[in-house]
Amino acid sequence: MSAIDSIPFFIPEILLLIGAFAVLFADFFVTNKKLIGITGLVILVATACLARLPAEPQALFSGFFQLDAFTHFFRYAALGIVGVTILTSLSYARMPKAYQSEYYSLFLFMAFGLILMSAATNLLMIFLAVEFVSIVSYLLVGFLKDDPGSKEASAKYLLFGSLASAIMLFGMSLLFGATGSLDLDVIRAQLAGSGFADLGLISLMLILVGLGFKISMAPFHMWAPDVYQGAPTPVTAFLTVGPKALGFAVLIRVLAGSFDHLYSHWSSLIFVLSILTMTIGNVVAIAQNNIKRLLAYSSIAQAGYILMGIVAFSDTGLRAVLIYLIAYAFTNLGAFVVVIAVSNRFQSDELESYSGLGRRAPLLAASLTIFLLSLAGMPPFAGFIGKFYVFTSALEAGFVSIAVVAALNSAVAAYYYFRVIRQMYLVPASDEDPISPSFSLALALCLMLIGTIALGIFPGPLLGFISQIVPL
Amino acid sequence: MTELTFIAQLGIYAMMFVVLAAAVAAVTLRNLFHCALALAGVLIGVAGMYLAMHAEFLAMVQILIYVGAVMTLIIFAIMLTQRLGAGDVAQNNKQSLFGAVAAAGFVVTLGGILWKTPWPVKEEAVTSSFSASDLGESLMTTYVLPFEIIAIVLFAVLIGAIVVARKDAPKGAEQ
Amino acid sequence: MIIPLEHILMFSTLLFAIGVYGTLVRRNLIGILISIELILNAVNVNLVAFSRTTALSPDTGQIFTFFVIALAAAAAAVGLAIVLALYRTSRTIFTD
Repeated sequence: MSAIDSIPFFIPEILLLIGAFAVLFADFFVTNKKLIGITGLVILVATACLARLPAEPQALFSGFFQLDAFTHFFRYAALGIVGVTILTSLSYARMPKAYQSEYYSLFLFMAFGLILMSAATNLLMIFLAVEFVSIVSYLLVGFLKDDPGSKEASAKYLLFGSLASAIMLFGMSLLFGATGSLDLDVIRAQLAGSGFADLGLISLMLILVGLGFKISMAPFHMWAPDVYQGAPTPVTAFLTVGPKALGFAVLIRVLAGSFDHLYSHWSSLIFVLSILTMTIGNVVAIAQNNIKRLLAYSSIAQAGYILMGIVAFSDTGLRAVLIYLIAYAFTNLGAFVVVIAVSNRFQSDELESYSGLGRRAPLLAASLTIFLLSLAGMPPFAGFIGKFYVFTSALEAGFVSIAVVAALNSAVAAYYYFRVIRQMYLVPASDEDPISPSFSLALALCLMLIGTIALGIFPGPLLGFISQIVPL
Repeated sequence: MTELTFIAQLGIYAMMFVVLAAAVAAVTLRNLFHCALALAGVLIGVAGMYLAMHAEFLAMVQILIYVGAVMTLIIFAIMLTQRLGAGDVAQNNKQSLFGAVAAAGFVVTLGGILWKTPWPVKEEAVTSSFSASDLGESLMTTYVLPFEIIAIVLFAVLIGAIVVARKDAPKGAEQ
Repeated sequence: MIIPLEHILMFSTLLFAIGVYGTLVRRNLIGILISIELILNAVNVNLVAFSRTTALSPDTGQIFTFFVIALAAAAAAVGLAIVLALYRTSRTIFTD
């Protein structure tokens, strides 16, 4: 479909872009910067309201933006994740005062980039969207003024990220050479020819370097703890869910769109990487005393669990991945809201500042307990639903060993989650002043709690939506 | 004609060799400024490769943007962050040997696969002519979405880079 | 094409490997950025070579190359902005 005909379908994204520019230029006219943030939220909500799913999958802009149910699902996910991040940033104590409108504007651009990632079925668009999201992330990580940790984290993120993207690009160029086209469908058709299996596999491995970096899959996870620790906490919250979820979206598109006939070759590779990821994440998390690093390693391990659904690669497996991503998004964002509330009060992310939270801020402590239990996979929370489906898909596909390893890993993870809960309830606090979070943090907390509990008790509607998306 | 072709081939192989030598220099030299100059050599050599592959407009773009803008940026950054007298600090860490072995192993593996793959070379691709105006037409019709998006990317990156690199405003200017 | 495709691919693979070696062993941030530029140039050489020989339509590879050049320039700009900011706050740009 040509560009002019595609515009009616693209209106939500155009609104998002105009909103991003408006937020940026509002800095000249508006003195209360929080209003700018709230405007950003309004734009995100308006975009979500305008988003429509057409009856047939449409290949907009000559095939560069695929509008189907998969994209529609991730549109809402991206807008929601960025929305919650902006909501929590509104009351982040260390926000640089002079650059707030640039911050909100960059997040709106980021939302646009995330939607592009989900809609990309062409190697050029995948690269463009992934780089867009990555480069804006490097900038957002380095946003704190005069904080060497933030700049170092940004530098580390940039170096790892650029290297991973460059390696992925080399793999893409080989794929382009073997098949003559950048479209995933044409690539699949051409790769099925004889003689290309070796090349297909090695280019897949190179592409996995880049995508594995985005989803913090081992052995490309090493940037995550330092970057998550150094970044401003709302940005950390965003990074643990946003690029990860969309990275999985791109991974599913690439694997299902071009490499499904090579499944027997790459399934064992992803199998090993999944086990490696969850084990490394969980084992190293045990020793952490900083809540941001602990949640960072925890999120690495969660990527390992999600990869089980990819190893299974059945309809159940891919549905499990999608539902796990939503459950994980609600849970992790909620946990970080509590982290921001505590760090606003104590300027510290060490576990000691959480002692006695049960007495000082009972609602915050209870919420964090719920989120940690959800991450551990306990019913009746959202994390249980995600884990249940991922385990089921692995067992159905016959991968019993990976399910066993994942179960053992979940037990190990429960140990460090309970360590935090114990710190909150059983360790006495140094002082007894109450902590009261601000309105926007409280609102974000409520939304995430509702999502985590509702998804755990009533997963039906979401499951219904997801079963329309897969089979792709 | 065959002599000319042979001389052209010899020239291109010589250029490839020079580019690879400059690349090795760019990753091993101790003085960072010399590395940057070696990188400029690599970039110009790659522009020459584009000329050898009949991508003339791309060669011009490579020189304008890479050698013109990106090299200037890199040299600026080197000037601003180095004390130029400190040229004898070790530039490579302890993993040099492991890195070299790993890279060599990778080249052998990938090279073997690339040599054996039956690349579907198409006659019409080899003999087609593709001018700058065809390029412009493609960019404006088929590739218009990536084109607009790269404009947005560059804008967002510009804003963000200014915020990250900027010196803080003096105290009185805070709102 | 005067040079066979396989020779150009060997060249770009070597350039790629030199770039990856550089990113693994360099201690200086700008040195690592220089090595990443080598990798991106190797990719571009690949793309142009393929667009001249195996591509289904002759513009695809060259246009992809344009986008790679543009994004590489953007990433270099961001990298150098971060290097400047880092130098200002910690007075060093060594990665260890």
